[in-house]
Amino acid sequence: MKKTNPSFLNGVPELLVLRLLARQEMYGYQIVEEIRTRTKEALVFGEGCIYPYLHYLEAEKLVSSRRQAVEGRNRNYYRLTRRGQRRLEMLTAEWDRVTSGVALLMEGQHA
Amino acid sequence: MPDFIEPLRRRLVELGCPSKQMRRLVREVTEHRDDLKQAGLAEGLSDADAGTRANAQLGDPQVVAEQMMVALRRSSWWGRHYVITFSLLPVLVFPVLWLLFLFLELLLAVTLGYSWNWDKMHAAANNPVTFHHMLIAFYIMDYLAVALATLLFCWLARRAAVKLKWMAISCIVCALVAVIVWARLEPHSFFVGFSANSHLHMPWYRGAIPLLVALAMYVLQRRTIHLFREPVAG
Repeated sequence: MKKTNPSFLNGVPELLVLRLLARQEMYGYQIVEEIRTRTKEALVFGEGCIYPYLHYLEAEKLVSSRRQAVEGRNRNYYRLTRRGQRRLEMLTAEWDRVTSGVALLMEGQHA
Repeated sequence: MPDFIEPLRRRLVELGCPSKQMRRLVREVTEHRDDLKQAGLAEGLSDADAGTRANAQLGDPQVVAEQMMVALRRSSWWGRHYVITFSLLPVLVFPVLWLLFLFLELLLAVTLGYSWNWDKMHAAANNPVTFHHMLIAFYIMDYLAVALATLLFCWLARRAAVKLKWMAISCIVCALVAVIVWARLEPHSFFVGFSANSHLHMPWYRGAIPLLVALAMYVLQRRTIHLFREPVAG
């Protein structure tokens, strides 16, 4: 386990996208909408910026994509790969570590 | 609100995005825009207002294009280590490719019936006409190796989505290696070496090949950008 976490905030979009794709395969618009509604608009992913990000995740073999027609519309659906699953487990553990650390600090400040 | 898709496409071309990635991104963003527009229409907006809102929601096409290039750069070893790839690797790859071509030339000699028989090779070297043909084949292979090594790094630069200057640097390194590393074929002898100032140098135009390739790539890219800048008819 990494002792430092200089880029834990940079890893948040990755964590969110991988987490969503672990449940079901989705297309870009769906991912953005899910993040918006599930976080009650606390986190809003740039609509156009999701694709460069998804392409990067695909190049890293963390997700895979396929073209599929649903209700007469063709879309690129993304799904998690095994490598992506392992990455998600690692990011989740890192996130838990960071948030529990922050929680401890906040508790100390409130006391 | 101006259109989103055309400025995005234009900016991607300007940044040298590979066409395959560009087509895919533009297709996905267009589909995304359609979804946003549909959502607007479902909320009771007019067609024009829904389109305007969809464009606004997609953000700045310049930013999306630049993020695409960053994503492309980060997703390949060449893009992440562009200094090593485009300034040091040509020095290593160039001789390897050149040796490969030399081997191909030997294979050609075998195909032409010389086999690995050194006696036949020496006999051919004694014949001025045959040796002249061997010399021509040698130079063709040599220039091809120089051109292909340069093209390889130009292609990598495009794939890795790095700035044009890195492609230019790799071409300059290839040109320098082509000037410094020399090879000479003489009857019964083959010499290879490197020297900065020697009479054994290869012809100067060997070093000009990578620069010509770089110029051709630059002109090609400018032409593509120019084509995309032209207004769409109709």
